[in-house]
Amino acid sequence: MFTCLFTPDFSVQAALRLEPEDRREVLKQFPIAILDGPASLPRVMATNEPARLAGIEIDMTKMQVETCGRAWLRRRSPANENAAQMALLDCANSFSPRVESTAPGTVILDLAGTEKLFGRVQVIAQKIALRAAEFGFELNVAIASNPDTAFYAARGFTGITIVPSGEEAERLASLPVDVLSTSPEMLGTLEILDSWGIRTFRALALLPPVPVVERLGQEGLRLQKIARGETRRPLAPAEISADFIESFEFEDPVETLESLTFILNRLLQQVCVRLASHSLATNELRLKLELEARQIKKEQNKEFYERAWKLPLPIQDPKILFRLVYLDLEGNTQPAPIQKIIVQAMAVKPRFAQSGLFTPASPQTEQLEITLARIRGVTGNTDENGVACVGSPRVVDSHKPDSFTVQPFSGIDEELDSSPSSSPVISLRIFRPALETTVGLAGEKPCSITLHKKLLRVLAASGPWRSSGNWWNASSAWTRDEWDVALKTAEGVGFYRIYLDRIKNQWFVEGTFD
Amino acid sequence: MPSAATLRASIETQIPSAFVVYQRPEQRSIPTGIPQIDSVTAGVPISTLTEICGSGLASSGKTTVMISLLAQATQKYFCALVDANDSFDPSSAHVAGVNFSRLLWVRCGKNQSKLKPMEQAFKTIDMLLQSGGFGLLVVDLSSFPERLVRKAPMTTWFRFSRVVEKQRAALVFLSQQPHATSCAGLVLHLKANPAVWSGNLLAQFQLEAEVVRSREKKPTQSAKPNFSVPSQWA
Repeated sequence: MFTCLFTPDFSVQAALRLEPEDRREVLKQFPIAILDGPASLPRVMATNEPARLAGIEIDMTKMQVETCGRAWLRRRSPANENAAQMALLDCANSFSPRVESTAPGTVILDLAGTEKLFGRVQVIAQKIALRAAEFGFELNVAIASNPDTAFYAARGFTGITIVPSGEEAERLASLPVDVLSTSPEMLGTLEILDSWGIRTFRALALLPPVPVVERLGQEGLRLQKIARGETRRPLAPAEISADFIESFEFEDPVETLESLTFILNRLLQQVCVRLASHSLATNELRLKLELEARQIKKEQNKEFYERAWKLPLPIQDPKILFRLVYLDLEGNTQPAPIQKIIVQAMAVKPRFAQSGLFTPASPQTEQLEITLARIRGVTGNTDENGVACVGSPRVVDSHKPDSFTVQPFSGIDEELDSSPSSSPVISLRIFRPALETTVGLAGEKPCSITLHKKLLRVLAASGPWRSSGNWWNASSAWTRDEWDVALKTAEGVGFYRIYLDRIKNQWFVEGTFD
Repeated sequence: MPSAATLRASIETQIPSAFVVYQRPEQRSIPTGIPQIDSVTAGVPISTLTEICGSGLASSGKTTVMISLLAQATQKYFCALVDANDSFDPSSAHVAGVNFSRLLWVRCGKNQSKLKPMEQAFKTIDMLLQSGGFGLLVVDLSSFPERLVRKAPMTTWFRFSRVVEKQRAALVFLSQQPHATSCAGLVLHLKANPAVWSGNLLAQFQLEAEVVRSREKKPTQSAKPNFSVPSQWA
């Protein structure tokens, strides 16, 4: 059995799909016209039922539409339509792996062997309609024994239609021949049929085949076979794209974050629904904001805002992704109004973890990501050297002092580090950056140090410990003479690490042993 | 006249828990890894605010105790270190045995922000406390001068104390002087005695820890354990 999912007024539904659900329900009752063509003279290319009732027709100009009363006018967005088609394919894919992208807004899927999984065909049809509603579509669903019968039944009948095997001609009989008009080339043939008085599938099916071929050629015979429900053809399965991209172009560029959040939320919801339909999740989310070019000052020379979030665990929850993006946008004001928003999710397999009795309590991974994003909003993302401000420290395999990196903190119980067994040792408190100082020398040994504008006497000194590195690279080369000194301070004896930068010939206090 | 047993029975029918002796839940704690301190304090108590204090200019051993505590805690729990002045040394922690994959390090004051580093630290610890899931939360304020930390209102310490009471986490503040007063369940004051030099090398610290306040055990005059900590290269 084959199922056809047909989206009536596809361009209109593609435009409405990204609207919030409550607003979408209101807009459906309102005349909507999609405009296409040059910006100077756009013409209507698609309408919905209320618009047709209001007298809005295809090819009308914007001015003509305005004479028909109030209508919601939108520019056609090929990106939106592509994304909608991909979403439709994803929706179909959650029921069968064999899916054909037949036409914009129409997909056909092969249901063979899925009855055990989803139930009887009536149940499957209902499930498909419900699933499509989650994707933001209102579909006609038709199930038939061959793809073409399912296709024309979905085009001709609203709601769910099931055509039992052997009753194709009977069920299609009442359809008008206009349903066959799937391309402009067919208009001539349909006009001939109309001039013969052939207006329904039944009338076309009853014509003798040989005279039809004599007058209309093989095309006429093909149409007659469709009307009789006798065509047989294999499906041409669509290649499933691994790109989970959703985009939205604003009619008028938006400046405030509030205006952006509605659409952003909807885009993320759609991406997550699509991921879920493939049983996938994302561990990397990318956001691109296209800014209105004329508002951007020349010196800024930036037309995009791009950001990527790498997540420690695959996530499928749109609320968490939305919170992450929102917290970032809240902290970064855009230099110009936003024209277009593109969201892309990198798909990976979800992680299934079983809790263990003996694993330590850990922060909830999803909640932790939001907390870390909020903390980054307070402390900043990176320091002046590009090292992250929030994360898990790692010692770099280098003999250069204070070499470390900060890795993302996942809150996942990894294997214990191969660090030495736990035993207390004298620890250093680092001054970042190291404090410049002046050192008085007695011979080669430090005898006094200026710290916090006070001259302190050196009680004992251990050194010099010479080290150097990166001598082959002038910009990153370092060489130093290190001393551990005991200083007499107002509060007692302080043990400090000082060093002489032999390239700059300058003394620094690196830290204190505490 | 009813007997005592009858009275007791009639009261117990009305109020079943009237004569039940309240058993305080057993205080759980995280050992510091320094036996001399643990024998006096039984470690850093969970669900309690703890202060570890020591001089800012002179060496006192507070960072050593903190890192030793982190090394112990990361064997069992996920921990967070809010480093208000970015003075944590990962190399020292690595040698002490801290498990980095269970440690969240928040470096404050590294970016141009509207908030001062200390405000960033307080805000961060608030968020981490709300988030939950950490067994030990350490806030290192010891690089800030005494007068600056004193400006934190008393209500802040009360709030932290109340929040951590309901969590299975220990909250530790590192500072030069104690500030949380009665909000703290344990206050340790550390100072260093003359260090031991082995030839030309700094070999070990002689440290003294004083239990200034403890809810569990009343500090006595003699509760000043002395201990020594070797240097990384000794």
